[in-house]
Amino acid sequence: METTAKLAFSFIGVLLTFLLPPYLDGIARRVKARLQYRRGPPLMQTWYDLNKLFSLPSVKPTKSALFTWAPYLALASAVIGALLLPYGNVVPIDIGFNLVVFFYVILMVSVFLMLAGLTVQNAFSHLGSAREMQIILTVEPLIAILYGVLAYNAGSLNISDIIANLHLTPSLVMTYVLLAYALYVESGFMPFDIAEAEQEVIGGPLSEYSGRLLGVFYYAIYIKRFALLWFFVSLLVLPWVGPINTTLKAAEVLAVQFLLTVALYPVIASLEATNARLRIDHVVKMNTRAFFAGIVILAIAFMGW
Amino acid sequence: MVTTRDLEAHFEFECRACENGHCRKADVETILSERKGLKEFYEAFKEHIKECKRMTYGQYMFVIDREVLPEAVLWWHNHPEFKETHLSTAVGTDERPLNGKFVYMPFLNVQVEPQNMDENYWVFLKAYMPADDPSFPSVAAKLPAALWIEREVKDLLGFNPVGHPDPRRLILPEDWPEGVYPLRKDMDYRHSPMAEVKTEFKEKPEGTTLVPMGPVHMGIEEPAHFRLFVKGEEIVDVDYRGFYSHRGIEKTGEGRLTYNQVLFLAERICGICGYQHSVSYAMAVERLADVEIPDRARYIRTLMLELERIHNHLLWVGIAAHLVGYDTGFMHAWRIREPVMWLVERLTGNRKQYGMNIVGGVRRDILDYRKEEILKVVKQIREETKKFIDIALNTNTFIKRAEGVGILPYKIAKAYSVLGPTARASGRRIDTRLDQATKTAMAYNEVDFKVPVYKEGDVLARVLVRMDELFESLWIVEQLIDQMPGGDIMVPIGDLPEYEEALGFTEAHRGEVVHYVMTGEKNKVYRWKVRAPTYNNLPAVPEMLKGYHVADAPLIIASIDPCYSCTERVQFVDVETGKVKVLTEAEFNELSIKYRGVF
Repeated sequence: METTAKLAFSFIGVLLTFLLPPYLDGIARRVKARLQYRRGPPLMQTWYDLNKLFSLPSVKPTKSALFTWAPYLALASAVIGALLLPYGNVVPIDIGFNLVVFFYVILMVSVFLMLAGLTVQNAFSHLGSAREMQIILTVEPLIAILYGVLAYNAGSLNISDIIANLHLTPSLVMTYVLLAYALYVESGFMPFDIAEAEQEVIGGPLSEYSGRLLGVFYYAIYIKRFALLWFFVSLLVLPWVGPINTTLKAAEVLAVQFLLTVALYPVIASLEATNARLRIDHVVKMNTRAFFAGIVILAIAFMGW
Repeated sequence: MVTTRDLEAHFEFECRACENGHCRKADVETILSERKGLKEFYEAFKEHIKECKRMTYGQYMFVIDREVLPEAVLWWHNHPEFKETHLSTAVGTDERPLNGKFVYMPFLNVQVEPQNMDENYWVFLKAYMPADDPSFPSVAAKLPAALWIEREVKDLLGFNPVGHPDPRRLILPEDWPEGVYPLRKDMDYRHSPMAEVKTEFKEKPEGTTLVPMGPVHMGIEEPAHFRLFVKGEEIVDVDYRGFYSHRGIEKTGEGRLTYNQVLFLAERICGICGYQHSVSYAMAVERLADVEIPDRARYIRTLMLELERIHNHLLWVGIAAHLVGYDTGFMHAWRIREPVMWLVERLTGNRKQYGMNIVGGVRRDILDYRKEEILKVVKQIREETKKFIDIALNTNTFIKRAEGVGILPYKIAKAYSVLGPTARASGRRIDTRLDQATKTAMAYNEVDFKVPVYKEGDVLARVLVRMDELFESLWIVEQLIDQMPGGDIMVPIGDLPEYEEALGFTEAHRGEVVHYVMTGEKNKVYRWKVRAPTYNNLPAVPEMLKGYHVADAPLIIASIDPCYSCTERVQFVDVETGKVKVLTEAEFNELSIKYRGVF
């Protein structure tokens, strides 16, 4: 493919990363509203909210520089995470082993959220951070194992290579199922939004944040959710469409990725709307079980199934 | 210490049952033989009982020496035969203008036979205290149900409960000076002194962190301050400081209201169970005036009470869902509830605070063609609620959060005199609608319904009890419409007797509401004591919280359906006897300008 086309696809990737996530949240809010027999806000609502937050100054309850920097660092991590993924067949930031890099940068969003909560003197922030930590510590090993299965299956640690070389085995199907669960947990959607639970710990690590910094944090979280979903969608679509060697085909694939992402968000929203928030010990238990299931899948994968 | 030697002498109170004064003589026998248990009590405490009388139907009073108060209360509370008997609350009164003494009077809801309103009765244990030493041995040392009320009389009247395990301030604000007692008759209601702020919080147990829930917190709808001492996420101990909504309206209203005006103030005690308070108060005054109100009025009252219960339970289940993040449940519960509000607006003119009651009946008749409408709404609510419950109880995550959480064992529920659905979820078979003689003001004796009781004692059981109750209420409404008699809707009351006492009560959605009324001169109220059910339920919440997660705390607190302002806002309206001063509007405005920034 020519360089211009590559640049164009990268540009689309950047656009999607920055513009789409708040719209996706808008869709989710609309779907939830419909399930509750409400009209719901316009699709732009999340953008309006962010816009307002960006224009407000933040109250800083601490002198710690990390408090100010954490949202921006989280945003940077989330954006990098999103740009490590294929758009069509183009990966905007293509460095080797980018599955590992992807794993870490997405993790960094949670880490910065957690650290930000620990910079302030607030019991709720600390509780929220502790919860975030428990979730990370239990779900990340599971994700690592599942990434391991993918890497082993395709024989590579590069996302585009993995996608090009996956072959259908029973272990792969099981990996997809568990991966859907693990990525859902990591995204912090409803039954798992324990760290930021408003009614329990009044926003957790975010409870001391306000104005612009809060807006940036929200933005980072939306982008992270988008990245994780885009990653999953890419795994669903790209391995089965054959080699992508023309620009037209790449554009078609990108369109499918986009449509599937938009289509899956209402599914997520309805899962969110029909569930109550779980408690941290429930989640830890579930994640531990899933982890052992992951190990079994890894063993199956090693046997070549 | 406490002595009663100087109290032995005179008790000039009129005794309705026995005209010739001292009841140790003749008529005592007839009174005591009216209900089971009275005689037994009299025999046990013969030495200390100065007087006994029947205040009104099913309400008995013993004037008793203050030394034996704890024993007497416990005698009733732990009576082996009357299992569900509980300490309802107590009243402290400044009777110095009348006889130079203070009064402390706990009263109990005695349950001879559950759900038989002609067998059960109320017992008042009245103890006089001299003006210079208002102290009495603490009941709370042995019975936690008395914890709050004794702190309350200490705050507001300056009584001294000797041996109280936790004599901290309960009601008055932190900056209120020591030794100023707002409910004493010699305190002017415009007096609002200030002193240094002095907080008295419970010591933090070693190795725990403090999580302050409140005074303003997402998970609590009103100001309340729970201090959770946690290890990790587990709650080890809890301290509660509330009464942020207590505004001492009693003193502002002093001397300004007649018995009929107090009724409308009573309705404004609570935003949700206002009608319950209004009916309770009306019932107390009707008992005092000794009138029988028309059947149609009783039916209309019952109808409104049950409609109120229906919308409250839907509101509550919505909030419970919201607190565990199940917002779909919240939205739907409130959507289902809305038609009841519309219906009530149609019937009374208001969505809330109906202004429907008057002492002696109701103010508005229910037009016959509205009956159709009521039945239609009831049918719709029943169908939609069924669907809602089906969905909510099949939401795995919701059940996971509610099941086995916030367990309140029967014993603790009884020791704290927990009331209403909270108590019924812990296996207590109590419901004031049937337990006590509500038939003078309401028509519960003429309809058929069940009282659901669950034994589990967790949050899920409280959800289920309320939902079962909701269906029973729908059924009651249908019966009421079916049986609605014709006739008048009110009777005039006339003058009230002076210095008589009576109790009014209803079963609100949260539990038993009681209004104690003591009349003064000129149709005024000398003492009005309101006890909302949350007043008894809230002290038990720390017991429910211990051992559970911080995450469960909002749900557990909400599971008793707390109503803070109900518990705290208007406790009393007093009338300074003799010197009745009614403010004109201009004077009142002048006052408010003068005291701007002070109140």
